[in-house]
Amino acid sequence: MARVYGKKYVLLLLPTLVFLGIFFLVPLLMVVIDSIYGSEGEGIFFNYFVFFKDHVSRTAYLRSIRIGLWVTGLSIIISYPTALAIASINNRTLKTVFMTLMVLPLMTNPVARTFAWLAVLGRYGLLNNFLLSTRIIEEPVRMLYTEGAVLIGLLQLFMPMMILSISSALENIPEDLSLAARSLGASGFQTFVRVTFPLSVEGLITGGTLVFTGSITAYVTPAILGGSRVLMLSTLLYQKAAVVLDWDMATTIAVMMFLTTLLINTGFRLIGKVGRR
Amino acid sequence: MAFLKLENVSVGYHKNEFVVKDLTLNVGRGEFVSLLGPSGCGKTTTLRAIAGFLRVQKGRIIINGKVYNNIPPNRRNIGFVFQNYALFPHLNVFENVAFGLKIRRFPKDVIKKKVSEVLEFVGLKGFEERLPSQLSGGQQQRVAIARAIVVKPDLLLMDEPLSNLDAKLRIEMRAELRRMQKELGITTVYVTHDQAEALSLSDRVAVMNRGRIEQFDTPENLFLNPKTLFVARFVGFQDFVEGEVVDVGVNLITVRVGDTTLRARSMNRSSLGMKVILVARPKNFEILESRGANSLKGEIVSRIFQGDNILYVVKVPNVGYLKVEIPVENAKWQEREAVFLKVDPENCLAFPKEE
Amino acid sequence: MSGKIFVYIMLAIAILFLIGPFIIIFAASFSESEVLSFPPKGFTLHWFKKVITMPMFIRSFETSLWLAVLASLLALLLGIPVAYVLARFDFPGKRFVEILTTLPVIIPQMVAGLALLRIFIIMGIFSIRTTLLIGHTAIVLPFAVRIISSSILNLPHSIEEAAISLGASRFRVFVNVVLPNITVGIISAFILTFITSFNNVPISLFLTGPGISTLPIVMMTYMEYYYDPSIAALATLLILITLGVVLVMQKLLGVSKMI
Repeated sequence: MARVYGKKYVLLLLPTLVFLGIFFLVPLLMVVIDSIYGSEGEGIFFNYFVFFKDHVSRTAYLRSIRIGLWVTGLSIIISYPTALAIASINNRTLKTVFMTLMVLPLMTNPVARTFAWLAVLGRYGLLNNFLLSTRIIEEPVRMLYTEGAVLIGLLQLFMPMMILSISSALENIPEDLSLAARSLGASGFQTFVRVTFPLSVEGLITGGTLVFTGSITAYVTPAILGGSRVLMLSTLLYQKAAVVLDWDMATTIAVMMFLTTLLINTGFRLIGKVGRR
Repeated sequence: MAFLKLENVSVGYHKNEFVVKDLTLNVGRGEFVSLLGPSGCGKTTTLRAIAGFLRVQKGRIIINGKVYNNIPPNRRNIGFVFQNYALFPHLNVFENVAFGLKIRRFPKDVIKKKVSEVLEFVGLKGFEERLPSQLSGGQQQRVAIARAIVVKPDLLLMDEPLSNLDAKLRIEMRAELRRMQKELGITTVYVTHDQAEALSLSDRVAVMNRGRIEQFDTPENLFLNPKTLFVARFVGFQDFVEGEVVDVGVNLITVRVGDTTLRARSMNRSSLGMKVILVARPKNFEILESRGANSLKGEIVSRIFQGDNILYVVKVPNVGYLKVEIPVENAKWQEREAVFLKVDPENCLAFPKEE
Repeated sequence: MSGKIFVYIMLAIAILFLIGPFIIIFAASFSESEVLSFPPKGFTLHWFKKVITMPMFIRSFETSLWLAVLASLLALLLGIPVAYVLARFDFPGKRFVEILTTLPVIIPQMVAGLALLRIFIIMGIFSIRTTLLIGHTAIVLPFAVRIISSSILNLPHSIEEAAISLGASRFRVFVNVVLPNITVGIISAFILTFITSFNNVPISLFLTGPGISTLPIVMMTYMEYYYDPSIAALATLLILITLGVVLVMQKLLGVSKMI
């Protein structure tokens, strides 16, 4: 793209830049500043000190990270074979059907999606009914409002993203490569380990980033399936901001959330670069 | 006076990095001129600068006496035919061709008439309703031409329009293009990397290399009397040998090559002791059994059938592998035979060796 | 060969896991029991009737609707010029613009919601409606830009140059040549931004207040107090609508483009 006549086309960017600058960037900066300086004048970064010292916020934070890791790990384990299965389907229409089935959950309302788990994990829900009727247990087990419930809910929420990431990475691998490996004597397993998998790592990294950051920032699922018993960063944030009106803590939590996702993003990308060597 | 003049034009994509350097070109009214060269030589850049898609950093572009440097591309009334035709996918043939006329606000009935006429001219009568996706490559190309010429542009620019067509179609289209241009009399600048195409279509050809014009001449002159080594190689001369000038005559010079001497035609001023490269066309070599005048010793390595002639690859010690084309009737030598390669001094050109 | 069977089993499990809940909601919405249960007991359309007549659902549905439409239109209005400039030009600061336009995707939505709450509502600069619109527009803008950008990149630049050489001004080129060819992209961008805005929780969460709320928020509040199949019925309706829209989008441009 060389110098063209008239540079004034760059002015077309102005409305959007102004819009995002004023209505997005500025408020965010003010949140950051609020969190650093606090409202009581205890000194800068005092809020962060409190954040890590306070049992509740610390637990919520660590829990979010912990559950995030579990969700990411589990989703990889289930999604990878699934993506492989989809990639190996030769029938075009069938493949499209499965891909649509994967995309569909992403388009539906998260409230609706999470709601279903209430029906499954509730005291009189599907799972309990089944276990009771087969006499595995004597009394209904409390499954809701546990970390497990949140885990399952988040897993269902984000698995499609992981499947899609890996799928698209797999689709980009030329079919001839595995044939070439076979012709050189590699078994199916060896081909997978030495050819297919390394080439799909990119998709894992993209998917992993999305799932991990998504799990940490999700609100609906932890709110509905975890309630106040299983406080995560996002539910704590809402509590502090809208219920307790502890503005200092709220802004600090918000900044911590953002910093953590930023760290995860960069971290994963570095892993990707190193792995490529 | 020239109709299109490029005066010391320099064009670049980055500051002070010029792709086209100090180029001067004069094209007469109604003339068909080609810019010929390898990819990266700046021919397309020159064309786009004339069209106004690129700004000229230095120099002037003058058309019909008027300086065009600061005129935006949509006001230049210059027709442009793209390599990939660039037909509007959402419009049918009629609407594609009528586009420029609509912008110029011609009344509907006039547009209809003009579009019909030009479609007939390019041989696409009856194709009005079709969409570009329903046309073959050759048909799309004709629509592109029709669209460009229907507005009666002052200048017609073509950027490798035939390179996406298959070989047979290309040759047919060449004749068509020539016919159309002659009938319309539009001044045309044509860009290509195919020397056969440029030489067969044009009144004059500018051979370009690295942003500069090496030679601007008629096809015959370029073919027979290339002025630089680059041009010679481009029009089919093959590197022959290297040597040192030992005698300078009126028309011919004598060059020492190894332990023999050869006579050749010098295209530039030669001085004694100058290092030169000799080039000749594969067709102009003769294969002899024994040493004759102006010949080198060699061994036949391959014999390849090419239909009308045989291609011999001859290994010449201390020189390399040379290609020689001999008509089938005379090609009696076989592989591994030791032979002598002879070339007539008139057909052997000498150029100074560039360091 | 066991490898093949293994992956297909995983595929089945994944599908069950992902789609199962939808089937459960679907079935449970017809149940006659007062409490959400699966398998459903009996069959009734009572819950559906209830949710489409309840004022709070109707009002919040309308709010979500106009919000989604306006935010999408605004995002397109702002996003199309940006997509065009980013796709066709190179200029100093381009990287900055690219980052700024993807910022709303990088920043967690809860953080954005909080920020908007602080600035506009607490400081009383804008009304709740306006702030909601601003928030939703900002969130969906990056999607609009991305989809339209890729649509424009699929259109060879030479087509625009051809129009210019024939005498069209840049504006004319955009309206008569570029727009008609990116219509599919614009429509899919609109659909995606609409769905994203409609389903949004984090932004709406902070910004909704007395008198004005979006459907997802109202659904969540309802769920805190009532455990009946109403939400299941509502969820079923929403899912069916989404399904229809996704199928339309499928037809338009295929699944891969949606990622």
